[in-house]
Amino acid sequence: MTAHSIPENETIALLRNSAAGFARFDSRRIRDWRGRSPGFDRVVWQQMAGQGWLSILVPEADGGLGLGIEAAAAVAEQLGRACYPEPFVMAGLLVPGLLAASTNQALKRALLPAALSGDAIFSLAWQPADGSLKPATSAMRASRRNGSIVLSGECRFIVPAQADHYLVLAHTADGPLLVCVDADRIRPGLIEESGPDGFSSAWLRLSDLVAPEAAILMSGVGVTDTVEAALDQAIIVQSAEICGLMQRALELTLDYMRTRQQFGVAIGSFQALQHRAVDLFIQNELARHAKAAAVRAVEHGAQGKALSLVASSAKSRAAHAGLLISTQAIQLHGAIGFTDEYDLGLYVNRMIRLAASLGNAAEHRRRFGDLSEGA
Amino acid sequence: MSFRYGVPQERDWNALDDVEFRRIIRVEFETNYPTELRYAPRRLRWHETKDWYLRMARKGWIAPNWPLEYGGMGLSASKLLIFQEEAERWGIGRYQDHGTLMLGPVLLRWGTEEQRRRYLPDVLSCKSIWCQGYSEPGAGSDLAGLKTRAVRDGNDFVITGQKIWTTLAHDATHMFALTRTDPDAKKQEGISFLLVDLAQKGVTVRPIRDMAGHEEFCEVFLDEVRTPASNLVGELNKGWTVAKSLLGFERIHVGSPKMPEYGLTVLEAVARARGMWDDPLFREKYYALKLDVAHLADAYNHFTAIVIRGEQLGQDVSYLKIWATETFQRIADLVLETAGPFAAINGTVQVGNTSVDVLASFYKARTPTIYGGSNEIQRNILAQQVLDLPRR
Ligand SMILES: Cc1cc2nc3c(=O)[nH]c(=O)nc-3n(C[C@H](O)[C@H](O)[C@H](O)COP(=O)(O)OP(=O)(O)OC[C@H]3O[C@@H](n4cnc5c(N)ncnc54)[C@H](O)[C@@H]3O)c2cc1C
Repeated sequence: MTAHSIPENETIALLRNSAAGFARFDSRRIRDWRGRSPGFDRVVWQQMAGQGWLSILVPEADGGLGLGIEAAAAVAEQLGRACYPEPFVMAGLLVPGLLAASTNQALKRALLPAALSGDAIFSLAWQPADGSLKPATSAMRASRRNGSIVLSGECRFIVPAQADHYLVLAHTADGPLLVCVDADRIRPGLIEESGPDGFSSAWLRLSDLVAPEAAILMSGVGVTDTVEAALDQAIIVQSAEICGLMQRALELTLDYMRTRQQFGVAIGSFQALQHRAVDLFIQNELARHAKAAAVRAVEHGAQGKALSLVASSAKSRAAHAGLLISTQAIQLHGAIGFTDEYDLGLYVNRMIRLAASLGNAAEHRRRFGDLSEGA
Repeated sequence: MSFRYGVPQERDWNALDDVEFRRIIRVEFETNYPTELRYAPRRLRWHETKDWYLRMARKGWIAPNWPLEYGGMGLSASKLLIFQEEAERWGIGRYQDHGTLMLGPVLLRWGTEEQRRRYLPDVLSCKSIWCQGYSEPGAGSDLAGLKTRAVRDGNDFVITGQKIWTTLAHDATHMFALTRTDPDAKKQEGISFLLVDLAQKGVTVRPIRDMAGHEEFCEVFLDEVRTPASNLVGELNKGWTVAKSLLGFERIHVGSPKMPEYGLTVLEAVARARGMWDDPLFREKYYALKLDVAHLADAYNHFTAIVIRGEQLGQDVSYLKIWATETFQRIADLVLETAGPFAAINGTVQVGNTSVDVLASFYKARTPTIYGGSNEIQRNILAQQVLDLPRR
C-alpha cells in the first residue's frame, strides 16, 4: 500500500523505527502463550521496559521519559502490527501513569520503579461487572475501619488477569479511592475468564478484604477524573494498536489476493473483490487519521470532555474498521482464512479482544453522542 | 512584460497571517454576497450570479488560484484553502468557473504566451465563460473513446461531433474540448485539446432537464465548427496528457467535508422538527454519520496539509472523493427517511416550526459520485495503483 504517511518528529520516528525493529511478528511465540498463564512473556515484558516503553507517559521527574501520547501510540501501533500479546496499553501505560499521579509519595517511591523496570506487573481493576464504561459507577465499595480499609464488591474485565499487584478503584462514603493490593490477597477472589486470543481477563469479587490505609494511592473527588483521563488516553493508544493490527490484516489479505489463483487468474483481479478491498483501505485510512487527530488533540492539551470526545472518536472508528477488515479478510481468504493454522486468525482474535475492551464501536459512538449533546 | 492582466491586488495576501486573511475574506463574503443566493439548492445560472462575480472581477478576486502576474490573487496553497473554505462556509454559489479553475491552469502549464494573452484577460473580466467539453454519448468513464473529430483544414481545425453533460454550456461563450485528431492511433494518443468559440454557426446547445427539474447540463452539437489551429493547447495528439494534469485538484476539492457537514445540519433540523431527535434509534444513525464526517475531516486535513507543504498528492487522495460523496449520500438518504411524508413535497417546506428543503440535499447528493471520475472508476484506480492489485 502506498498511502501517504502522517508526518512525525524525529524522536517519534526513531521510536517507531526501533519499535518496528524490536517487535517482530512471531507466530510460534504467540501460539505458545495462548491459554497459558499469564498469557504473555515476562522476559519480553522486561525487554520492553528496557526499551523505555513503560516509561513513556511518566514524567521525567518521576524517572520516566515524559514523551507523551504520540510516542506511546507509535509504539502501540508497531506492537499491533506484530500482534504482540503483551498488555502494553493496560499494564505498560495506564498503570505507570496512575502510579505517577499518586499522592501517596512513599507508596509511589516503592512501586513506580518496579513498574517501570518491568519487574512487577500491575493491573487496574476499575470496570463494573456489567461492563459499563463509567468508572464512577464501579460496584466496588470501601469503608474505613481502624486505620484500615475494607473492600467489598466486584470488578471485571481486568487485564492482565495475573499480576503482582492490583490497583483497585473503590468508592467510599466520602468519594472514590485507588488502593494497591498484592496478588496473594486478591487471588482468592479472582476468576480468570479466557478470551478468543487465548489471553485472559479477570473477574474480581471481594468481600471484606482488609488493606492498610498506607496502600491508598489517592483518594477524594479528583480520583474518578484522574482514572477517567488515564482511561481515555489508554483508549487512544489502544486505537493505535488496533490500527497496527488492522493494517497488517489488510496487508496479509492484499498479498493473498495478488497470489491466490482461481479461474486461471489472481483473485485480486476480480473487480468485485478490488472494490471491496478499496472500501477496507478507506476504513483503514479513516482509522489512522481519526487516531492521529486524537493524538494531536491530546498533545495540544485536550482534557476532560474534549479528551473523552476524541478518545471515543478514535476508538469508534478503530473498532469498527478493525472488525470490518477482520471479517472481510476471512471472507477474502476463503476457508484457509478460518483455520487456526493460518496466521490471520491470530490477528482477528486479538482484534476481537481489543475492539471489545475499553468500549466497542457502538458504545463509543453512543458516548460520543452523549458528550456532544451535553455541549 | 508590457501586457497587463486583470486588476492589481490591493494587498500582498500571502504576507498576512491566516487569521487576518480569513477575516478579510469573510467580511467581503458576508457583507456583499446576496443572502437569497446562499446555499442554493441547485447550480445557479449566470444571470443570477452575474452581479456577484462581476464584483469579484472588479476586485481582482475572480481567480484566487492564479499567479499575480496573470491577474490572479497569487494565493499560496494555505491561503487558497482558506479562500475556498470561506466560500463554502458561506454557501456561495459557483458560476460556470471552468475558466478560472481549469482553463487558466491549463494555459499556464501548456499554453503559449499568445494563447494566454488572447484568453486569460477575458476570463478575469468574466467577458468569456468557459465550459468543459469532454464527455460524449459514447464516451463517459471510457473518455478516451471519444469520437468528436477535428480535421485540419488550412489554418483551421474543423470540428464535428457531439458533447454531452456539459455543465452550464448555455451560459458559456467558449468551450475547451477534447477532440480526435488521429483516428488511427491508439485511443489515448489521437486526442487533442482545442479551444472553441461557441458563438458561431454549427454550434447548437441544448439544455437537458434533470430529474430534479433543473437545467444544469447540456448537449452541445458541433457541426463543422471552425477553430484556428493556434487554439491547439499542447502538442497535436497530446490532449490526453493535458487533460489528465488537472485531475488531482478535483479530487481533493470534491473530498471536502463541507457538503456532508451541511447535510448534517439539515438532518438535525428535520429530525428536531419531526420530534425524532431524541429517538435512540435515530441518534445512533445520526452519530454514526457525524463520526463518518468527523473522520472525513481528519483525513481531509491530512491531505490539505500535504498541499500546504507544497508536496505532490498521491493517487491515494481518490479515497477522499469516495468517502466524502458517499457519506453525503448516506446523510441525504437519512434526511429523506427522517422527513417521512415531507419528502413528497417540493421545495422549501414547513415542517413543524422549521422550514427546510428536504429534497435539495437528496438530489444534490446523487451526482458527485458520478462526475469527476465515477466512484467505481476511483475504486479501480485505487485498487490497481495504490493497493497494487493485478489488472484483469
Ligand atoms: C452533474 C454532472 C455534471 C457534469 N458535467 C460535465 C461537464 O461539464 N463536462 C463533461 O465533459 N462531462 C460532464 N459530466 C459527465 C461526467 O464526466 C460523466 O457522467 C462521467 O464521466 C461518467 O460517464 P457516464 O455518465 O457516461 O457513465 P458511464 O461511464 O456509462 O457509467 C455508467 C456506470 O457504469 C460504471 N462503470 C463504467 N465503467 C466502469 C468500469 N470500468 N468499472 C466499473 N464500473 C464502471 C460507472 O461507474 C457508472 O456507475 C457531468 C456529469 C454530471 C452528472
